Amino acid sequence: MDLHSYPHGEHGRFEQIFNQFLLKSLHIILDSRVPMNRPPSRGGEIRKSDRWFNLVLGDRPAAMDSLSFWNRSLMEPMVIDIILVQESSYSLSEHDSRSTLATEMPAETVIERWVVQYEHQRSMAPQIGDAFYKKTYKKSIILLRSVYSMLRLLPAYKAFRKQQSFKQNCGFEINYKICSFGSPLLRSEEESMKNYSFIPIDAQQGRLSVSVMYRKDLSDFNLDSCVSHPIEIISDYVGSPLTDPMRAFPCTSSEKGHSISFQTRGRQSAPPSPFQRPHSWSSGLQRELSSQQSQPYSASPPLYRSPYEYSSSPTEAYIQRNQNQRFTANQKAPCDEILSPPFSSSPSPSPPTKSVIPFHNRRHPETAPMSIPHPMIARSPRYLSPNLSDPNRNSLPPLSPRNTKYDSSSHESPSGIRSIRRLDSTRTGEMSNTPTNAGPKLSRDSKEDSGRFSSLLSSSSSPRVGLSRTSSRLSFQDDFGDCDCPFIVDDVDPPDNQTSSNLGARNCSEVSSLAPSTMKKSQDAAVGALVHMLKTAPPLRQESCYYNTQSSKTEFEGEVGAASEFFKPRKASDAFEELKVYRQMKDLLLSKSSAHLVSKEKTEF
Amino acid sequence: MNCEVCQLKELDVEHFEIREVLRFSCNQKGLWCQAVCNLMKLIAGILHTILFHRALGLVRPKDIDLELFEITYVQCGDVELERKIDEKIDQFLDRVEKHPNKKNQICLSFYEVKNKQPTWFTNKVERLYWEQWYINLNVAQHQKGHSGKSTSSKIVVDPEAEERTVRRAALEASLRDVLFQIIRFVNEKKDHIPPIPNLEGVSFPYEITISRFCIWNGNVQEDAPNRASYDAQLTSE
Repeated sequence: MDLHSYPHGEHGRFEQIFNQFLLKSLHIILDSRVPMNRPPSRGGEIRKSDRWFNLVLGDRPAAMDSLSFWNRSLMEPMVIDIILVQESSYSLSEHDSRSTLATEMPAETVIERWVVQYEHQRSMAPQIGDAFYKKTYKKSIILLRSVYSMLRLLPAYKAFRKQQSFKQNCGFEINYKICSFGSPLLRSEEESMKNYSFIPIDAQQGRLSVSVMYRKDLSDFNLDSCVSHPIEIISDYVGSPLTDPMRAFPCTSSEKGHSISFQTRGRQSAPPSPFQRPHSWSSGLQRELSSQQSQPYSASPPLYRSPYEYSSSPTEAYIQRNQNQRFTANQKAPCDEILSPPFSSSPSPSPPTKSVIPFHNRRHPETAPMSIPHPMIARSPRYLSPNLSDPNRNSLPPLSPRNTKYDSSSHESPSGIRSIRRLDSTRTGEMSNTPTNAGPKLSRDSKEDSGRFSSLLSSSSSPRVGLSRTSSRLSFQDDFGDCDCPFIVDDVDPPDNQTSSNLGARNCSEVSSLAPSTMKKSQDAAVGALVHMLKTAPPLRQESCYYNTQSSKTEFEGEVGAASEFFKPRKASDAFEELKVYRQMKDLLLSKSSAHLVSKEKTEF
Repeated sequence: MNCEVCQLKELDVEHFEIREVLRFSCNQKGLWCQAVCNLMKLIAGILHTILFHRALGLVRPKDIDLELFEITYVQCGDVELERKIDEKIDQFLDRVEKHPNKKNQICLSFYEVKNKQPTWFTNKVERLYWEQWYINLNVAQHQKGHSGKSTSSKIVVDPEAEERTVRRAALEASLRDVLFQIIRFVNEKKDHIPPIPNLEGVSFPYEITISRFCIWNGNVQEDAPNRASYDAQLTSE
């Protein structure tokens, strides 16, 4: 019977009461026995956890956050050992020739053992009904009050107050251990301890009981010596960060300093923070007793492992989840209905689901980084031709199904990527392998193209990831209809938005200079810039003669409409023809300029 | 409904006669003040401990230290309750001074209010007591053997100090036993607690009465005998 999911109905309510009882009792015991550094309480603010059993205790110790109570079985008791750690010096045996120095070993003594458990009794008829669980809850309140009072009357409370007052100057330390079973004690220890059992509370099909075994007398431990501890000079004083802030204080040296000072002063214990204190339920923080000799009292070693698992504040989250919709008491009713536990309406809490990665999260895609060719459009028209031999070709995602309908022969690269490769390649001879597969033509609306590019650029190893990301991404995919874009990541803005802001009205000469600058940016930004360039670039036809003009800024913009021609599939023959055209244009221009010069000279003369 | 009665273990406390206070030296006046304060705190500790277990509404517990005895008890944190208890303790001290060397009793009772139909003669509401606590105090007058030498600059306090220390240790042990007794009783008896009418402060109506007349073994007596009552069963551990 696990507590991680409360069943509905009476049993669920009782389990919730029992679970909260465990937490509350643990909170009370730790607050009364182990000095912990906790953040200051929030004044008069009453937390939801405080309303359980009507006992306001304030913030819980940090150690409680790591206890996964929902993994516990209802039958397993919670055993809390309060351990007094004290230095006990002894000298090494005479046979040891290495050293005769006195070695101080920490002595741990269990001075209290609290056991909170649910004693299941099968023979007992199950008690059900609202009245019953409210009565159980009321009795639980009284029981916890008794535990609270008892903790202040037992001898260990005096030790706790001393350690709280003197902190490091005490000759002892109080530690705790939480298990589901009690480690056997020595006979001598048992004889010196006394047992007290609180009257159990009748529960649903059993009894809820609390008992304590405590040491009657702590005078043997000489706890009063902490005040009269002699003051000794620390010869290896490291210094204070306040006096010498520029000096580095490495951990090892500080520990050494503590250890040495420990030996000279007899005892010094740094109060471990709740996060540094190893607990028996923390599997990764166990330390053996032998290790303590080198690092005395940096942390107390747990003696046993506990089935409790480490987790990051799930308990509090669990409780807060439960109490978000707690049962509101009707205070008008002059009866026990006033005293109702703050149940949650959803008795089966579930761990918090993972939050969806927001669309604006600009994380790098999870695929291997791919090199983006330089968008060197202005150098030569040949750059506009795709280069299938581009080594980066295979790193790019394949065509989406919708885009492959133009060319079923090739599935290697979309036209969009081909367009990119045109910018990078000078080997127009390889145009023979120009795939006839055409991606979405630019004759289509720009939205589709941007969507296509976004589908290509935002590649991801996880298929259909984009479907779950954001609504804006979904809108892109909706435009594709049945387009399957498996490599969408959510960290790329639509190229329209991205590249328009980057490029705008830049000339081709600036494009070439822009290319290396864009490469310095993230891959995504560069790709977006490329996309925009390609979209706004004039076609390779007659209108593309504007490429070679000096002021091509405005022409770029003017050619946006003609950019749709840019992504038409081309062959080598087409490229040769274009080359011829450009040569003709060049000759023409040269001839014109020369003619102009000649005419000018004539007029001057 | 049963009325559960708990006779707490008798406590032997010392008190100075107020008539003698004026003749005390400064040091002895200080001791007297301390004795009075300690007595007040002792009684307050017992009452607050009982009421902490009967204030079932939302409370923020407050730890109070009795420095003299090294005992910590718990209060509800209700200011109104503290004021009422202080008033009652003052009344008790007045009575003790008027009737020295007597056994005194403070009774803390919890009751239910039952509205009785008013008649021509009475308009009282009936109270049904469901729990009563008797705090038994044997206030002994301080034996001041050096009253004639109060003007002397030297005050022989060593034997008195030792005696005081012994009495204090015994009183501390008795007080601790009384607090344990309270915890035991509130745990043993839970079924008689009626429905809670109020969640604020002490959940149940209560009254604190001070009387020279004791209720011992169910009988009203002027002076409590020098033996334990049958009601108070302090089990030996």
